[in-house]
Amino acid sequence: MLENLIQPFEAAINQFKKRDQLEKVLPAIGYFCTYTPIEVIHAAGFTPIRITGDAGAVEKAYAHMPDFICPFMKRALEKALNGKYDFLSGVVQGYSCDAACGAVNIWRDAIGGGIYHTLPLPYNSNPEARAFYKSALNEVVEKLNALGGSFSESKLDSSLGLYTEIRNILLDFYERSFKGDLPLSTQQMLTLIEAGAVSSPEAYLDMLKALKTHLRNANAEKKQDIPVMISGSLVEDPTIIEMIESSGGRIVADDLCNGYRQLVPAAADGGSPVDRLINRYIQRMPCPARSRAEDRLAPLIELMQKSGAKAMILIIQKFCTPHLSDYPSLLKAFKEKGWPVLLLELDESWQPGGQIKTRLESFFEMVGA
Amino acid sequence: MTEERKSKKRLKTSKELNRLVTEYYLNCQTAKAEGRPVAWMPPMNGVIELCYAMDVQPVFPENWSPVCAAFGLTPQNFKVSEDMGYSRDICGYLRNIIGYVNGLMNEKDTPLGGLPEPDILFTPGGGCVPVMKIFHALERRFPKAAVFSADLPQVAIEDINDTHIDYAIAESERLINFVTETTGRRLDMDRLRETVVLSDQACALWDEIMSFRRYIPVPFSAAEMGIMFVMVTLQGTQKAVDYLTRVRDEVRQKAESGSGVIENEKLRLFWDNIPLWYNMGLFNYFEAAGGVVVAETYSAAWSIRMDPQNPIRSLALKSLKSYPLVSCVSINKRKEMVLNACREYAIDGVIFHRNKSCIPITLGQMEIKRALEEELNIPSVIIDADHMDERNFSMAQFQTRVDAFMEMLADRKGY
Repeated sequence: MLENLIQPFEAAINQFKKRDQLEKVLPAIGYFCTYTPIEVIHAAGFTPIRITGDAGAVEKAYAHMPDFICPFMKRALEKALNGKYDFLSGVVQGYSCDAACGAVNIWRDAIGGGIYHTLPLPYNSNPEARAFYKSALNEVVEKLNALGGSFSESKLDSSLGLYTEIRNILLDFYERSFKGDLPLSTQQMLTLIEAGAVSSPEAYLDMLKALKTHLRNANAEKKQDIPVMISGSLVEDPTIIEMIESSGGRIVADDLCNGYRQLVPAAADGGSPVDRLINRYIQRMPCPARSRAEDRLAPLIELMQKSGAKAMILIIQKFCTPHLSDYPSLLKAFKEKGWPVLLLELDESWQPGGQIKTRLESFFEMVGA
Repeated sequence: MTEERKSKKRLKTSKELNRLVTEYYLNCQTAKAEGRPVAWMPPMNGVIELCYAMDVQPVFPENWSPVCAAFGLTPQNFKVSEDMGYSRDICGYLRNIIGYVNGLMNEKDTPLGGLPEPDILFTPGGGCVPVMKIFHALERRFPKAAVFSADLPQVAIEDINDTHIDYAIAESERLINFVTETTGRRLDMDRLRETVVLSDQACALWDEIMSFRRYIPVPFSAAEMGIMFVMVTLQGTQKAVDYLTRVRDEVRQKAESGSGVIENEKLRLFWDNIPLWYNMGLFNYFEAAGGVVVAETYSAAWSIRMDPQNPIRSLALKSLKSYPLVSCVSINKRKEMVLNACREYAIDGVIFHRNKSCIPITLGQMEIKRALEEELNIPSVIIDADHMDERNFSMAQFQTRVDAFMEMLADRKGY
């Protein structure tokens, strides 16, 4: 029954993977990072498509990047070099980390066509920073309009409404899952979110609404495994999730940029649509590429407490400087709270291997003792 | 650093540098002792001139890392930071300075007197992620320091417009007010103009010094790159101008008299990316095959000319341009810069240091490599290494690749 409910989302992902019925999302603009204001892209008449790496090999991308770049960026470029993103009208990227910044410029050189724009997002929230943010958004709008888009403030208002509704439904699912009341697994939640990253938001919202109706009275199966939170950038393959859950763990919360983190907050107040957009992105649940480890602690602790997690597993894409740099501080703070932390690093194959399985089993034994 | 790992210096003025380095770090300690505010900041921006104009002593934790490498302190610093949980995959500057402030800094008798504790931390937003994370760690280590969270748009040089400049100016003004509120020191605009004049003179001298490297034979090589120290730490001071004037005079004399680095200069090389601070002697390695490293990307980023009539705007522009000039923020501009340098300096071959400790500079190298081959027919070689962590460098692999490359270059030139 549940599988049937998730099936439309899997179908949307598979259809996108085959680049089937692309006309449903065209014209489309790609983005790497969830700090990219996708509402502006949508309001200009483009479907924002999140570029992903997915598990696989890296061959051609090594002609453009060294091996010590995160799997996400290497694999995304590999896919682009294999023509998988030829349908995009360009890439707009909200400035996050060094690798993503370089990737936009490398894509411009290696892939070409359309626009390649890195949006210089401010790190502060004072009036000057907000004014600058507005100007930076205007520059994106001008480029999108020059590409055939037609942006207006009223369209932005509608786009904000659409994405707020989407985020609210997903956050509602998360709230239920924190209470152990959602009959969806972590992997199924990630599947839902992935489908949204490659679909038109209008069609996606309809799918979510239908799912919400079906799940209204559904009950979750109670499990006795050890509740854990996972944290990281993108988890791009289900194997590690399955391994955690087959080693004695039960994932009850996530701090992933292809999971919960990108949804919070669903919206923000403000006088104009642009102000509301800016306020939301400034109030975003922080990513380590743009914040202090200390700023991440309060929302992470809140997630641990409301989900009842007893430990945290960091699933880090190999060579991810922002996440690796925060690890010592998070480890210290979590230890003080009595929450064990396990750090796992995965390469582009996303295959955890026997050693990680053993580490997971020992970790859960230790947490459960 | 053992003797063979130190570069062989041939300029008399290079040998003066030890005194300047010692004096600079002594001044940092003296400032602290005398109650002058000490501000730790990232390099490559216009805050240094503001500091000197406001009698605030700037200290550069990144610059301390090459000093640690030269004194062989890096392994100890790495041990401290890695024991704290910092991964070996993170930039070596980060692991070195975090290790230092949490380890050796607490001990007496560190070389050059060590670094004085900061009264102010200028934490960057923008620039590379490791530097931002270094300052977050410094905030933890020095909780009494006043923190200014700076913001700077990350924009390719060719895309910088008035919006970015206006915001960078607004940030400079916010920073000046912060320093005044924190230290009670007000900015005297005449003093700032004088500082900017000195900074611009240093840049003009730097450009002039670099221009003599067009001479064949080249009067000095990358082995003397240590002179860059004054561009990093002393921009905006008379001391930098005086020193660079002496360097310029010596280099000019050598260039005009045809006195080259080596007897028989056969191959002119370009180095891309940060040097291996623990093994500067590598720059002399090429000499056995008649090669000299004539120019580098890294040395270009320290010279951004200024307009003393518009000091704040000039400093804002310097902040906006410096980092993109050498990083993946501005790959096209960097490519243009390297290609121009290869034309101007009559380069025969390029060495790309694929630097595990610096993603922003390493990204874009392959694009530049291709452009060199396609547009200028200049071959290049990639050296896998790390500017701080010796464990990521293999001398045998370096020699194998460089020897083959030098043979190929020599063949091409008919030697």
